[in-house]
Order: sequence, then structure tokens, then C-alpha cells
Amino acid sequence: MSHSAAPISAEISGVLACFLVEDSAVIRENLVAALEEMAPVRVVGFADNQTSAIAWLAGRQPCQLVIIDIFLKSGTGLEVLRQARILRPSCRLVVLSNYATPDMRKRCTALSADRVFDKSSELEELLAYCKELAAPG
Amino acid sequence: MGIDDPVAARPAVEPGLRPMEGKPPVLARFTALTDRLRQSALVIPAAVLVAVLMLVINEVAYHGAQSRLGRLVEMGRARMLLLQTLQLTSEAESGERGYMMTGGKEYLLPYLEARDQVLANLHRLEQAYTRLGDGDAMRRRPRLNELVNAKLAEMDEVKRLFDSGRLEQALDLVRSGIGRELMAELRDESNSLVTHQNDRIGTGLSEFVDTLLLNRIGIIVITLLGLLMLMKFARLSRQLDRQRLERLSEVAAERDRLEVEVAHRTADLTELACHLQTAREDERAHLARELHDELGALLTSAKLEVARIKPKLQQAVPDLLPRVTHLTESLNSCIALKRRIIEDLRPSTLDSLGLHAALEILCADFKDRSGVEVRASLQPVALSPTAELTVFRLVQEALTNVAKHAGAKEVRVQLHAVDGMAEVRVVDDGRGFDSATLRGGSHGLIGMRFRVEAGRGQFELKSALGAGTMLLARIPMEHDRRCQPIQ
Repeated sequence: MSHSAAPISAEISGVLACFLVEDSAVIRENLVAALEEMAPVRVVGFADNQTSAIAWLAGRQPCQLVIIDIFLKSGTGLEVLRQARILRPSCRLVVLSNYATPDMRKRCTALSADRVFDKSSELEELLAYCKELAAPG
Repeated sequence: MGIDDPVAARPAVEPGLRPMEGKPPVLARFTALTDRLRQSALVIPAAVLVAVLMLVINEVAYHGAQSRLGRLVEMGRARMLLLQTLQLTSEAESGERGYMMTGGKEYLLPYLEARDQVLANLHRLEQAYTRLGDGDAMRRRPRLNELVNAKLAEMDEVKRLFDSGRLEQALDLVRSGIGRELMAELRDESNSLVTHQNDRIGTGLSEFVDTLLLNRIGIIVITLLGLLMLMKFARLSRQLDRQRLERLSEVAAERDRLEVEVAHRTADLTELACHLQTAREDERAHLARELHDELGALLTSAKLEVARIKPKLQQAVPDLLPRVTHLTESLNSCIALKRRIIEDLRPSTLDSLGLHAALEILCADFKDRSGVEVRASLQPVALSPTAELTVFRLVQEALTNVAKHAGAKEVRVQLHAVDGMAEVRVVDDGRGFDSATLRGGSHGLIGMRFRVEAGRGQFELKSALGAGTMLLARIPMEHDRRCQPIQ
């Protein structure tokens, strides 16, 4: 992969502040638990649709990582991705989707996603990426 | 794809269609028509009969007139002969007198000639009367002969006495008045016969005129009869024409009625099929959503749980690690199966990314899967969700057909906005097919056509063997084209 996972300098006390855009409560619950348990990540907020996600990103709460699902209750993750790059230029933007086809990966990359992970088959890779990001130096 | 069998949806009883209604009056009219035709067939023999009658009357009248005229001429000739006989007898008498007075032989010649001719005349007169069949004249003719012969005998006697020189005796004979009396009687008899013959001629003439009159009346009657028939025939043919026109307009009305009926029925079926199509798509969308949201989330959660357990298990019970790996694989298979089912039920990209992106992804996936070069030229178009789904399914079906049948190297997919219509075009360079033989044979094509037409669009499929296939659909933009549900 061409994407590197260089650690973020502005990291607070070695833990990544993460914003989660995911419409399924079940997944959210498990994902938050898994991330916080297995990687140095703290989920600081979430949204289940495009509008509220963009609203949160437009706010002032700091975060270093945004995890975005493509299919949402309303709107699309792609639009969230586009806005997130504008609103949070220094954030790592990761797409976690059930629809990670090659074409979708291309689209997400074009919208300046840092990485794209398949929700079903690439969870371990996501966790590894998070660990890499949080690793100091 | 393809719609469910529309024939099955047709109600068994067709209340709108009443094929027997209105038939009896039509049948009655038809019978009347054939009767008239039979009548009109009689007109020709009748016309021939009239013509024959006319000819017969004319011929009979002609021959009747000719024979009557012939008899009249014969009668005239007989009268002439009679008068001539009387005159010749007088001439013979005056010739004899002249001879006796002068002794000149030149007076004797007329006497002799007249005498011979009188006898010949009497013979001819007899023949004439026989020919004419004049019984009365025949009965009176012997008396005439007798008188003529007696007169001739008297004159012969006078001449003999005179020639033998006994003048006085000859004169005595003359003076005796026998000759004069005979002559007078002969004249009387002749006149009486002439009168009789004049009567006969008069009767013949009036008969001749009667014949002409009869002929005239016959011709007039027959001509009037012919004219009458001609008029009847003309009226009949006018009636036939009128009835034919009526029949034609009846047939046209019936055809119009059936056309309206068919249009209604087609509209009903379209509506029903549209409803079924919508219901089907709704059902599929619902199922896909359910699978994606609920099952997907559960599976992903399960995966996450396993991921969380795995490192701990690795430390505590490393022996169980292969089982965990196997569990992960099973979960992955489940997820893959779920995806396949969802994508088959409902193109998730369409809902989440819109038509443009969904088509791009569809084309790219198709290219990867089939190896057929895809050249997509897509413009954003404003369509309702139903119409977007129609376009998507159309392209999907077309590409499936290309992969299955066309053997194409390249396929062009175009979506453009043209005159307020979204124009979709899928063109391949494959082997094509004979569109005449395939018509109605492919459920996929029928389904495509139906979906497009249900959205008030136009559908066109052009193909020829070896010349590729072109599919074109035009769908009106910016209208909500959800079908009206059937109550």
C-alpha cells in the first residue's frame, strides 16, 4: 500500500481521538468496544447520517481519525468524506465499508480517503492501522 | 429480470368483451341482402324475356302485315282483271260493230285480240279467286263465265252471219237485243263483283291497320315494362349500395369498439404488471435493506467479537486458535453470501450513490468480470427513484445479455439528457440476432420494454445478424413516474 501510517504529532497522551460515522447501532457498539480495547483509540463522537456527521465535523471538538461507513441512514459516506477533508484537513480519514469494491476504493481515494477497509474482512488491518498511527516516533 | 407472466393475470371472464352482442340484426340484414341479390339475379332473365317478347311481337306483326298487304295487292289485281274483262268485252263488241258498219278488216283485229284476252283473263281470275280463297266470288264466277261466253257466242254468231253475207239476219240478231241484254247483265254482274271485292279490300285494309295498331300497342307495353324493370333494378342497386355502405360502417364501428377494448385491456394489464413490478421491487428493496442492516450488522459484530477474543485466546488457550480461524472463515463466507444476495436483490450503489455512480460502478465491474471493453459516456440526468431503477436494470440486463450472447469485444453505454428525456443507449459490436425471430421470445427483453413503457418512455431494440445490437430507451425526466397502484 502506498498509504503510510505515520504517527500523528498532535496526538494527546498516545490515544487517538476518533469520530465514527456508522448507521448501525450494533456495529457501532461492537466497533467502539473493539477499537478502544485493541487499539489506542478513544471514540469521541459518532453520527448515523450525513447531515449530523458533517455538523459534528464542522464543530470544534478535536479528533485525529474519522472512520466513515459509505451507506448511511440518510446521505452517503462519500459526501461526508469530501466535507471531512475540507473541514478537517489534518485528520486521517478512513473508510470502513461493506462495499469495498475496487471501484469504490478508487472513488474513496479520489476523495482523499487515507485508507479503505472492508468492514467484514479487513477489521484486523484497521486495528493495525490505528496502532501504527498511535505509535509514537 | 422479466415480468411475471402477464397472461396469468388476465381474468378468466372478459366482461368488457361481448362478441355475440349485435350479431342477430347483422345476420337479419345479411339475409335480406342475399334475398335482394337473388331478386336482382332474376332481373336479367326478365330483361331477356322482355327483349324476346318485343322481337316476337315485332316479327309476328311484320309477317301479318306482309301477308295482309300481299292479299290486298292480289285483291286489287283481281278487281283490275274483272274490270279489264268487262272493258275488253265492250271493246270486242264495239270492234265488231265497227267491222259490220264499215266492213273494214282493221276493226276485226281488236275484236279478235279482245276476245282471246277475255278468255285468258277469265282463267287468271279463277286462279286469283282460288288463291284468295274468296268463296263468294268463286260461286259467282261460273255465272260470269257463262255470261261472257254467251256474249262471245252471240258476237261470233253475228259475225258469222255478216261474213256469210246475210246482213239483214245479222242485224236482226243485233236488233233482237239479246247482245245488249247479255252485256247489261255482264256489266251488272261485274259491278256487283267489284263491289264485293271492294268490301273485301276494305276489310283487309282495316285488318292491316289493326295489325299495325296491335304491333304499336305491344311495343309500347313492352317498352314501358322494360322501363319499369330498369327503374326497379336501379332502385335495387341503389339499395344494395346503401346496404353495403351500412355494413361497412358497422364493421368499422365494431373494429373501433374492439380497438378501444384492446386499448383498455392493455392499459389494465400494463397497470397490473406495473403494480406487480413495483411491488416486486419494493419487496426486494425491503429484503435487501433488512439483510444489509440487520444481518450485516450482526455478522460484522460477530466478526468484531471474534477479533476481540482472538488475542486473548492466543495467550490463554492457543490450542483453540485454529477453531477461531475456522469461525472467522465461516463468518466471512456468510458475509460474502449475504453480499451476493443483497446485490442481486437491489443495487445498493444506486440507493447510496445515485444513478450516475451506480452505472459507472456497474460498467467497471462488468469490464472486470467479462473482459469486454466498456466505454461509458454518462451525463447526470434528473430522474425519479423508480426511473433510476428502470435505467439501472435496463443497463444491467443489457450487459448481462452482452456477456451471455453477444460475444462482443466492446460495448458502449451512454446516458444523455435529450429534449427533456433521459436517453439510455447500450450498443455492442457482437454477433447480433434476427430481431424478427426473437420478438416476444425473451422475457428479459419484454420486461425491459415493459418497464420503459410503463414509465411513459420509448423502447427500441435494433439488431441484425453479425451487426451487433443496439438498445435504446428514452424516459421522461423530472416526473414522478411511480405507477398508480391498482385499487
